[in-house]
Amino acid sequence: MSPTALGVLLVVVSTMVEGFGQTFLKKSALDAARRHHWILLGVAVLIVEVLLYSGALRFLAVSTAFPITSLSFVMVTLLSRWLLGERVTPLRWAGVGLILIGTSLIVAQA
Amino acid sequence: MTGARFPARLVIGLAVAIALDTALQLVWKAGVADLPDASSLRELVVAVARHPIFILVVALMAAQLVNWLKVLDHADLSYAKPFTSLSYVTVCALSVVLLGEHIAPLQVVGIVVVVAGVWCVSQTGHTTLGGKAKPE
Repeated sequence: MSPTALGVLLVVVSTMVEGFGQTFLKKSALDAARRHHWILLGVAVLIVEVLLYSGALRFLAVSTAFPITSLSFVMVTLLSRWLLGERVTPLRWAGVGLILIGTSLIVAQA
Repeated sequence: MTGARFPARLVIGLAVAIALDTALQLVWKAGVADLPDASSLRELVVAVARHPIFILVVALMAAQLVNWLKVLDHADLSYAKPFTSLSYVTVCALSVVLLGEHIAPLQVVGIVVVVAGVWCVSQTGHTTLGGKAKPE
């Protein structure tokens, strides 16, 4: 695997990890009996995400890595639906799609 | 903005989340730019630990976590998270205003597309989990 491919893989994995971290933080609002457990788990997972992203920056320029992080909006939406049972309407998906395109345009030119 | 669709507490929480995220990105960027060249990871970690601006970074992260947990008490994750994309817009705008950076036409298009996306999400209900979410 080339260094660039490894960097892209690390960024994509970090967005998936962020999705799980955010899901655990939301779980803390739904499961009052284990609120602190979910918060600690969420924070721990988000720290792993930062480490993975930092590792990716050893192989990629920020201008390449940062646009890929906007995939986290897709990951969060997918996991919210699958793990939390939230109802994601077509309009919400359309919004996420536009945000994915828009953030990519903003940071690609930065 | 304070009707049933946009409870005031949620609007304020999302606005604070965007403001904190924007401040965090700008302060972090300033801190990283001010770091001396490091030849090893250990030197880099020591330089970060000794730089006072990173105390502010950690404080902003803590405030962001506390506020974000309050937001998630009252809204779907898939509703709230897309709003944080507005910090890409605010960082871009403040970089022009405060740092005198140039903004490209494609970035203006990107800002319009992001705002359109957030508007789409804002038109959906802020919670779909029924009784599981805390009432306003």
